[in-house]
Amino acid sequence: MTKNKPKAEGQRDEAEGQDGGWGWVLVGALFVSTSLVFGLMRSLGIFFVEFVQYFEESAQAISWISSTGLAAQQFFSPLGAALCNAYDARVVVMTGGCLAGLGLILASQATCLVHLYLTMGVISGLGWGLVFTPMVATVMANFTRRRALALGLGFSSIGLSSFAFNPLFQLLVEVFAWRGALLILGGLSLNIVPCGALIRPKRRSKSPEKINSESKPRASILHRVSSHLELSLLFERPYITYTLAVTLLNVGYFVPYFHLVAHSRQAGFSEYQAAFVMSAAGATDILGRVASGWFSDLGHFRLLHLLSIWTTLAGVFIMLLPVSSLSGSYPALMVISLLYGFCSGALTSLVFAVVPMIVGVARVMGALGLLQLIESGAGLLGAPLSGFLKDVTGNYIASFMVAGSFLILGTLTMATLPHYFSCKDPPPPQRPSPEDKDKSLQSEVEPSVTERSVI
Amino acid sequence: MERELCLSVCVIQLWMESATRKLQGDTRAASLLQLKGEGGGLVVLLHDAASRETRKRSSERPAHRGDRGIIIMSAIRKQLSFQILLLFISCRNINTKTLGATAPPLDPTAPLQKLERSYVLKGDSHTEKVELLNPVSLVLMCTWTGSQNKPTNITGFWSKDGKEIENSRVTVQLENKQYNLKRTFSIASEADLGSYSCDFGGEAKINFVLAVPQMGDERDKPIVSYLGDSVVVPCKLDDSKPTPNTWNWYRANETGKEQIIAGQKFSIKNDEKKTKLVIHDLTADDSGLYYCGAVYGVGITMGRVELKVISFFEPLKPFIAILVEVIILVAAILLYEKSRSKKDYTAAGNGATDQTNTLSSGENNGPEESSSMRQRKV
Repeated sequence: MTKNKPKAEGQRDEAEGQDGGWGWVLVGALFVSTSLVFGLMRSLGIFFVEFVQYFEESAQAISWISSTGLAAQQFFSPLGAALCNAYDARVVVMTGGCLAGLGLILASQATCLVHLYLTMGVISGLGWGLVFTPMVATVMANFTRRRALALGLGFSSIGLSSFAFNPLFQLLVEVFAWRGALLILGGLSLNIVPCGALIRPKRRSKSPEKINSESKPRASILHRVSSHLELSLLFERPYITYTLAVTLLNVGYFVPYFHLVAHSRQAGFSEYQAAFVMSAAGATDILGRVASGWFSDLGHFRLLHLLSIWTTLAGVFIMLLPVSSLSGSYPALMVISLLYGFCSGALTSLVFAVVPMIVGVARVMGALGLLQLIESGAGLLGAPLSGFLKDVTGNYIASFMVAGSFLILGTLTMATLPHYFSCKDPPPPQRPSPEDKDKSLQSEVEPSVTERSVI
Repeated sequence: MERELCLSVCVIQLWMESATRKLQGDTRAASLLQLKGEGGGLVVLLHDAASRETRKRSSERPAHRGDRGIIIMSAIRKQLSFQILLLFISCRNINTKTLGATAPPLDPTAPLQKLERSYVLKGDSHTEKVELLNPVSLVLMCTWTGSQNKPTNITGFWSKDGKEIENSRVTVQLENKQYNLKRTFSIASEADLGSYSCDFGGEAKINFVLAVPQMGDERDKPIVSYLGDSVVVPCKLDDSKPTPNTWNWYRANETGKEQIIAGQKFSIKNDEKKTKLVIHDLTADDSGLYYCGAVYGVGITMGRVELKVISFFEPLKPFIAILVEVIILVAAILLYEKSRSKKDYTAAGNGATDQTNTLSSGENNGPEESSSMRQRKV
């Protein structure tokens, strides 16, 4: 499908992304940077044992390191989005890469636990926050028709890199001890910088706004900040609804990752069997991401409907997990885990792809930032809640049931989005700006034409 | 103990003086040292009695200058000796706990715990493991059901570590279609551990392997740490094994094992079945083998850990390699873009005037449209 891009309108650059060529290079960059952010975060468990021994602290104190890192990544996402809106995505990602690497390099010199919180937690978390959201938003901006597939391919790196990084980190720790291993990881994280360099700087459509607001300097700073952060989104019902749905989803989503192994052991399976179940779920997770991305782009269904289906299925399978393991049959547990892995991977690649449908491509950057921030609370809530349920009831059935129900609740929330039950995507709202108000009619017609031709 | 040492030194001095006055000082000094070890007051008595005799004899000799000295000395010596005797008798009950690696020596007169181990053999050989913690009086009972033909008498004997124990050969009668061998062993120290076997006429053998609880799997990879850093060397007993009395740490050197004493450089933290050796301010000399020993009453079980101290340049090399790679990639990407934008610049000369305003000083990649048009063609 050829895109007719009128060269005069700067806004059109951001409204549509061409599906091809450099877009796939950016998918590769997303692949590498996501693996270095989330794949690395997931494999930090290798250092856990070393830290406990060296610093002689409790396991809980050490686990706060990765919690801080994840929380910082999600907290600073809106900041990353705002900076990209204000400045250049390329510079932001490259800075983020440098910060992430710097945090790990400094962590290798840590002499107490607080150092690790500050370096591996805050500094690296800040770096990761500046990297992830801009990269995702940039890739989404560069694709229209193949958006979900691009995201699916990009996110498949998380699962693959977890497989690759675990033995690699183990080897590094054995040869160099944790200090040397962290230093080398810092170096590896610096590879995010070339990924960021691959982003082409774009013309900013905000420049007209800036010129207008120069007359009132003080109010304009607040105005600019809020427009960079896309805070106006918080007042829009579709966005709020969607964010709430994703938050509910996040509460239940991570529970199996934390508790599946422990639950399998409790149900009577051996250590190796339990670990294998997790690995198998991880493998189907990767498959699910790519497959759902490809399938969604075929265009037979609306992305939102597909997302609802995958989320519901994932919720159902999470609820079935304790049932299958209690029956004592290992194949049953295996099958349900595989299905759960597939569905959870499938929904991951769609969660972000739906956002432009709701807020419009222009505001994707800020929307993603805020989404990450709000859903971070859910992630923090989910694991302790399920742990608490386990302590109270003595087994994991209640926590899995609750987790699954949260996912289904998320689907129900999504069903309240406007135009949910229509078969075609509604036109995404355009960002209201002083210029656009004049040509509101014209701008509303044109994107809807292009959007409908997508489906 | 210090008091005992002090006393011993005083007494030794006295005796040494007497040795210079032509008495048999050497034997007396030697016997006194033995006295200290055994803490036996009885021996003092004997020696004192002997010394009094010799002194009497010497005092009967024609007196000259040296002898007068002896006479005076002997009077004082009698008093002192008596006092020392009293002190020795009271000190006898102090437990002499020695420094160092060996298990604490036991009071030989206290009765040993009794332990019985038995096995009924049906085939021709079997090995049984016996885990011992403290010194015991071990009764081993072997029962053999016999082979095809059951002679009424066979010769049985006991052996330790393959060597036959003297005077252990006995004739075994067939009772209730079984042969029985029974013997009591006193297991007091590490030397008494080993493999004890009862042998029925060379046809059947039961081995009892006496040992302290063994350490579990040892970590075969060395622990790595850096110069100037501190390191924690752990050692752990399986949960199923009993708790040792204490832990000791040793360093391997040319002559064998040398015990590590906690101080500024080393700290030892014991926690029942786990122990940690913390080494501060690592130097290159600290690399090598370390042994942790779990001390039980009857012996010590060893675990082995290797420590490797490396300098910080080791990981720095791959790090710098990665850094160089990153810089090269970034430079390549930016240069590629610059060269492309220059081509676009010259190619799209018409629309260049619009774009010149938006070109920033450092990096530019030319008009988005023309490059994307090129993409579409590709």
